[in-house]
Amino acid sequence: MDIKVQFGGGAELLFDNKKHYDISLPSKEKPWIIGDLLFWLKEHLLKERPDLFLQDNSVRPGILVLINDTDWELMDTVNYEIQLNDCIMFISTLHGG
Amino acid sequence: MCSVGDDGDRHMPSNVFVQYYDTKCQKCKLETPIVLLRRKDSYCKDCFLSGTNHKFKSLLGKSKLLRPKDRVLVSYEVGHPSTALLHLIRSGLDLNTPKKLRFEPVFVFLEDQYHLTKDERSQMITRAIAEAEKLKFKMHLVSFAESIMKDDVTIYLNHLNLNDNDGDAINNKFATKINNTNKKEVSNILRRNILLSIAKKLSCKFIFTPELSVDIAANLLTNISLGRGSQVPVDTGFCDDRDKDVKILRPLRSFDKKEVALYNVLHVLEPVTVRQTQDNQYASIQALAKQFINELNENYPATVATVVKTGDKLALDENKVAGNCKLCKGNILKPTEDLTSDESTSFSKLVSNELPDHSISSQERYEKVEGQFEHKAQVDNEYCFSCSKISRFLLSDT
Ligand SMILES: [Zn+2]
Ligand SMILES: [Zn+2]
Repeated sequence: MDIKVQFGGGAELLFDNKKHYDISLPSKEKPWIIGDLLFWLKEHLLKERPDLFLQDNSVRPGILVLINDTDWELMDTVNYEIQLNDCIMFISTLHGG
Repeated sequence: MCSVGDDGDRHMPSNVFVQYYDTKCQKCKLETPIVLLRRKDSYCKDCFLSGTNHKFKSLLGKSKLLRPKDRVLVSYEVGHPSTALLHLIRSGLDLNTPKKLRFEPVFVFLEDQYHLTKDERSQMITRAIAEAEKLKFKMHLVSFAESIMKDDVTIYLNHLNLNDNDGDAINNKFATKINNTNKKEVSNILRRNILLSIAKKLSCKFIFTPELSVDIAANLLTNISLGRGSQVPVDTGFCDDRDKDVKILRPLRSFDKKEVALYNVLHVLEPVTVRQTQDNQYASIQALAKQFINELNENYPATVATVVKTGDKLALDENKVAGNCKLCKGNILKPTEDLTSDESTSFSKLVSNELPDHSISSQERYEKVEGQFEHKAQVDNEYCFSCSKISRFLLSDT
């Protein structure tokens, strides 16, 4: 399943300083949910210490997640079922001065 | 009592997620919401953006401090808050309605990112200049280290002289090694004093600083922990009027992180980002207060606003003010007959360490111990209580 993943606000610093990724998720029995994607990102793309991105099966507090430009808190957060061509954005609010 | 922290003991229900799939924006009741603020308020894109603009302008408008043509020094810091602030000002200036902003902003980046390498700092400065230029603003540059070492402020455009050892500026200010809490405190006071000098050099009557509600709440707790209770109104309120010529305003003090970050995303603004300091959260009182407030914000987002509002109710009785502190310019209170909390602590320590002498009556025991305690008629001081604790480490008076 092809989707887009974007990083901003400093979250890209944890992902090889790249802001846009087109990724292909392998097919699996159960639907892909955001929670699965977080672990997939950790395995495949995350370049820095995982605790700067993840905490307790979710993103670290202070990282804002948008699914197709909508706040994931309106979309059941980690349990949202990913659809083909979704664009999932991770914005850090932690990388300031 | 609720307890939030690292003890893992939570008595208040948190993380109660509600399904919002089929709800409508709570403002216009028509559109599909795109954001959920404070775990309860859902807004569509238009209502969120117009609400954000309105909140910014109404705080400035309500204060009635700014007059048309007033020059305002805007202190730039890398990250979402400053990026949003630049854009909010630009869109306010470009309006053609009576709500148009009429002050003249002057931008400055007082650079002190000493946890980065020289190259990283140089890139950061270039990107900060570009970010301002994109909005047709000019960025002034000032080096924090240079200002301290020369004890004077030089304002640059386009370029700043960077040195690898700039980070030692604060350390050199002290005769002996001091703890991180005091170092951070002095650094904050010096930053404020330097910003005031820059404002005066650039003929600005006001300064905007970009603190968000979480910063205000953390500052409030820090001030109280450090014995700066009397300075809470000026240090965390909308307006800091300690200086008679230049007022410091905090126009983002009722915004939270999510609001400014989302504002930037929706306007396709990408803030300048830098590596985070890997601060030990227990290294200083300031870091601890910040950590506590951030956790509070994650788990009980409405509580931070309550902390800020509680702080807003604190005011100082002007009749009790004796003068201003030489270092932080905060109020020094007149001596009173009552024991200060500092003295009460010493008294309690004295009593607790005293072995009871049972050969005398309790009244006599009380008089004996009271006689030993010296109520040091709090003499008129050059420094406020908190600064007097750190001033003895300073090489020179500031
Ligand atoms: Zn709406
Ligand atoms: Zn002081």
